[in-house]
Amino acid sequence: MSTPFHAWRAAIRIARRDAWRFKGRSALVLSMIALPIVGVSAVDITVRSSDLTMEQQLTRDIGAADARLNGTGIANMPIYQGLKDHEYAQVDEKAPYRSEPTDITKAFPAGARTLEDTSGSAKSRTTHGLLDVDIRELKAADPMAAGIMTLKQGRFPAQADEVAATTEFLKQSGLKVGDEVSFRDFDRKYTVTGSYELPDFLKDAQLNALPGALLAPYAKALTAKGLSSPDATVSYLADVKSSDGFTWNMVKQANTKGVYVTSRAVKLDPPARSEVALYVKHPEYGATSGNSLPANTALLATTATVVGLAMLEICLLAGPAFAVGARRSRRQLGLVGANGGDRRHIRAIVLAGGGVIGAVAAVTGTALGLGLTVLLRPFLEEYAGQRFGGIEIRPLELLGIALLALVTGLLAAIVPAVVASRQSVLSSLTGRRGIRRANRVLPVFGAAAVCLGTGLAFIGATDTDNVLAVGGGSAIAELGIVALTPTLVGLFGRLGRWLPLSPRLALRDAVRNRGRTAPAVAAVLAAVAGTVAIATYAASSDQESRDGYTAYLPNGTVSLSVDTAGSRELPAVKAAVEKDLPVAGVADFSRIVVGEKTCDVWSSDTGCGYSELVTPKASQCPLYDERNGKLSTAQKRKWAKNWRCASTSRPVAVDTSDGILVGDASILKALGVHDTAAEKALADGRAVVFDKRQVDKNGRITLALIKDYSDENTAEKSPHKTFVAYRPKTGKTNGYGVTAVVSQAAAKAAGVRTVPYGMIVSTSRMPSSTERQTLDGAMDKLGVQANIRVEEGYVSKNSVIMLALAIFAGLVTIGAAGIATGLAQADAEPDLRTLTAVGAPPRVRRTLSGFQCGVVAAMGVLLGSAAGTLPAVGLRKAEERQALKMYHESLDHGWGLNTLPHTPIVVPWATLAALIVAVPLGAALLAALVTRSRSELARRAEG
Amino acid sequence: MQKDQPVLRLQELTRVHGSGATEVHALRGIDLDVFPGELVAVMGPSGSGKSTLLTIAGGLDTPTSGKVLVEGTDITTASRKQMAALRRRSIGYVFQDYNLIPALTAAENVALPRELDGTSARKARREALAALEEMGLGQLADRFPDEMSGGQQQRVAIARALVGDRRLVLADEPTGALDSETGESVLGLLRARCDAGAAGVLVTHEPRFAAWADRVVFLRDGSVTDTTLRSQAETLLQGGVAAQ
Repeated sequence: MSTPFHAWRAAIRIARRDAWRFKGRSALVLSMIALPIVGVSAVDITVRSSDLTMEQQLTRDIGAADARLNGTGIANMPIYQGLKDHEYAQVDEKAPYRSEPTDITKAFPAGARTLEDTSGSAKSRTTHGLLDVDIRELKAADPMAAGIMTLKQGRFPAQADEVAATTEFLKQSGLKVGDEVSFRDFDRKYTVTGSYELPDFLKDAQLNALPGALLAPYAKALTAKGLSSPDATVSYLADVKSSDGFTWNMVKQANTKGVYVTSRAVKLDPPARSEVALYVKHPEYGATSGNSLPANTALLATTATVVGLAMLEICLLAGPAFAVGARRSRRQLGLVGANGGDRRHIRAIVLAGGGVIGAVAAVTGTALGLGLTVLLRPFLEEYAGQRFGGIEIRPLELLGIALLALVTGLLAAIVPAVVASRQSVLSSLTGRRGIRRANRVLPVFGAAAVCLGTGLAFIGATDTDNVLAVGGGSAIAELGIVALTPTLVGLFGRLGRWLPLSPRLALRDAVRNRGRTAPAVAAVLAAVAGTVAIATYAASSDQESRDGYTAYLPNGTVSLSVDTAGSRELPAVKAAVEKDLPVAGVADFSRIVVGEKTCDVWSSDTGCGYSELVTPKASQCPLYDERNGKLSTAQKRKWAKNWRCASTSRPVAVDTSDGILVGDASILKALGVHDTAAEKALADGRAVVFDKRQVDKNGRITLALIKDYSDENTAEKSPHKTFVAYRPKTGKTNGYGVTAVVSQAAAKAAGVRTVPYGMIVSTSRMPSSTERQTLDGAMDKLGVQANIRVEEGYVSKNSVIMLALAIFAGLVTIGAAGIATGLAQADAEPDLRTLTAVGAPPRVRRTLSGFQCGVVAAMGVLLGSAAGTLPAVGLRKAEERQALKMYHESLDHGWGLNTLPHTPIVVPWATLAALIVAVPLGAALLAALVTRSRSELARRAEG
Repeated sequence: MQKDQPVLRLQELTRVHGSGATEVHALRGIDLDVFPGELVAVMGPSGSGKSTLLTIAGGLDTPTSGKVLVEGTDITTASRKQMAALRRRSIGYVFQDYNLIPALTAAENVALPRELDGTSARKARREALAALEEMGLGQLADRFPDEMSGGQQQRVAIARALVGDRRLVLADEPTGALDSETGESVLGLLRARCDAGAAGVLVTHEPRFAAWADRVVFLRDGSVTDTTLRSQAETLLQGGVAAQ
């Protein structure tokens, strides 16, 4: 039977054998297409593998149990539970918040077997010093807990003086199985009987003990010494008698006791939404967030654009390689024509070349992706801090990714195939060099796309703030420029007459053979345009951040604050600071605390409170006062510019609830306040206040001491303390976000309790990275959780990105220009022989190929730089409009954003210079270096 | 011998390259008939129009005026597609060298026109093997061109030129790249194929090889200056030698 299919078979056979015959070229194109496929398929498999099934996730969370019962921390108030993790609401919404633990045992179903699982923390002694470690009291050897912890070595603890440790703990602590581990302020020792890992949290340093064996005696020991003990949360694993597991009805029953349940049966077979009281009473719960249609569409559009542009780039790079192949096998294609092959057949052979390499790239790419994922699985798991559920392969997704390679191969071969098929058989056979006429439709299409795209981007940037319009318009304009490339390359030819022989020859050759020059120039253009766009955008955003940067402290100054436990270590901390940093002066400070002595900093436990400055009524910003809801827009605009409504969101180096630091005049110096009157005021017992709003008409500030975080305790109802205020002259720095400084004596006189909290360290120079690391190490050894901040001024994170972008664009440029040069060389052999014959020195061959490469690179880089500026400027303009809109809206609504937006546009000259000068020069030199200066022996018979 | 319709008939064939000052008359009103079983040699000095005649006869180039009839069909009015189909089914080419597609074995090269025509690979291969066997080249079937000598390659090219129902073989200096002994054997094969019923046109500038032809046509400046029959081959040979 005769079908076109048989002709295709012949074409594929020729293409397959040719691909094998020219291994170097095939390997080059193959790697170009396969590399992204390796990456994408590896990412796909990794993401799918780390995405656990519900069953796997449940095993990690609740082991083999039927359910886990958690308290909600709001006493035993009944709750409505949703179907998502930890989604619940109090049944009685109006009931005031009371921080009181839930008694979970009351919610146990009758006859259920339970296993206690308590989590807390402790400070353990290690070979290096002290380490904060999570403590998990769970009988891990119980079959009900199977799957929560994976035993790696030894055994789980069986007695009260034994613990097992995660491999991460052993790594961090330097201890090993069989060693003894001890804790600070606690005289018991525990033997490490085994090591394990938490499949979901590989980086957790955790110790496992039997219930009641560690946390309770540890807390008792701390309390006995008057120290705060860490929080512990209790939950229970439960196995019920019923073979249906922990049913939805049982969950609802437990909810009435204020207990939240993670049930295997419910998770695997959830009830209908109508059966979930939470969703019935509060429809806003359980909405599928993050899946809104516009967000999805934008993500899809962005992904499609990125994949599309990447494929275009690969096609532009691989296309010339296929063109080289087609040109080199011109005689072969001519022979096919002489034996009755028509255009269709010639196209099929060249296209099949793309198909064959695309198919091989698809198979090797996905196979390598899979292999890499399997091979790197332990590293990937370590990196992600989570064990995979298994290697999960989604055949359809991988097929789609593989198909992308095939399509890329075919697309890359389309233009060379069409060009080859248009060659007459006779000129193919005789090797006559014909100049292909430039396509007349393409420039028109290109110009139209440029106009349309630029227009869209322009409108997007000026009339609206639609970033998508700017991005889409720029992409269309860039495609237009790619289509215009042959015409633009033609324009470059006019420069030829002023150039010396070799560059003139190179330029004319490039222009006369636009068919092969244009794709290479377009490939460079696309890569450079992307790079320039990102670099310009990044440089502009960087400038914006730099201009908008607010310093925490004077340049080079270090702030250090510690937790409650660390306050005892402050002398040692200070010694370490003085040893490790170039210290010029240390200002110690304390903070005001409210509540029991055992309270931790920021603790919201019962009996632990906080202090807050009360803003006098006359200084309150009317915009924030709910009672003034009827302010007119004009009034809101007026108030937004008033000092009362100035922004308070300044970054602070040292965070206290009230913004007050307690200490002496050295703090003022450290904060850059040089005012002897202020120092005197502080010594006299007055408060040095940086925020004028806090000072009332009597020249005082008022501090509210709030007993705890319960709703009924407000600043107004709490006891107040007042201080006479002094306002220093500070200029722009304005105390670096500290509201007030009060002396130790004044605090004592006012009857407020303070604890040492940290220090501000002035330095003689900027501490080096090594010095900071040494200090961090010292803090680790001391076992102090210190919040250390060094004011380094604005640090740009852009330089690495810029460098990476420049290198990427440079590599693509050199690659594309190299391929185009190879193509030109194949064509230019007769010219070179003629040149040699008329007496040109051997180096002409080198210089010519150098210039051929340089010409392609230079044209692409110039056009790309121009094309890349458009989206960057457009995006910035759109952002400026967005910011202005926000600003005006903020003024109109009184949201308190009252500084005019600043959206600079900065050209990254260094990156541009590297691209425009260094890259073409490098490409030219490289091409010249790798070209042989001697002519190859001419073929026995030409044509 | 000239009992049937000619396989190839050229009528008033003219080919002009370029125009104006660069105008070159490659062929001027050529008439030529080639019958089944006949081998016609075309001789002439360089630039006389020999190769142009052959490319137009095979439909690789189009004449400025005149007709080319291949088995009764006027190929000058055929579309590009029809032309390609004619080359698959009626006309076979043999060039001076590099005749075979390097990526295909001898058998696949021979089978190529049939496969391009849509015949299944198996059937095309069967036909190709039969053609090779018939010419005593069966042992070469699975060799790639770079594993064969120049003479072997030319013989395979002749086999390909005549595979299927093709009856016209156009050979452009088929022995040009071969030594004289191999050249003789290649021409012997071509002669044998013509004796078996094919029609052949052989372009050569070597009188020795022209002597294998039934008729020799002399071209000079695009016109036929003389036609010699095979019986006068000896004279031809001597004339050729004398000319050298």
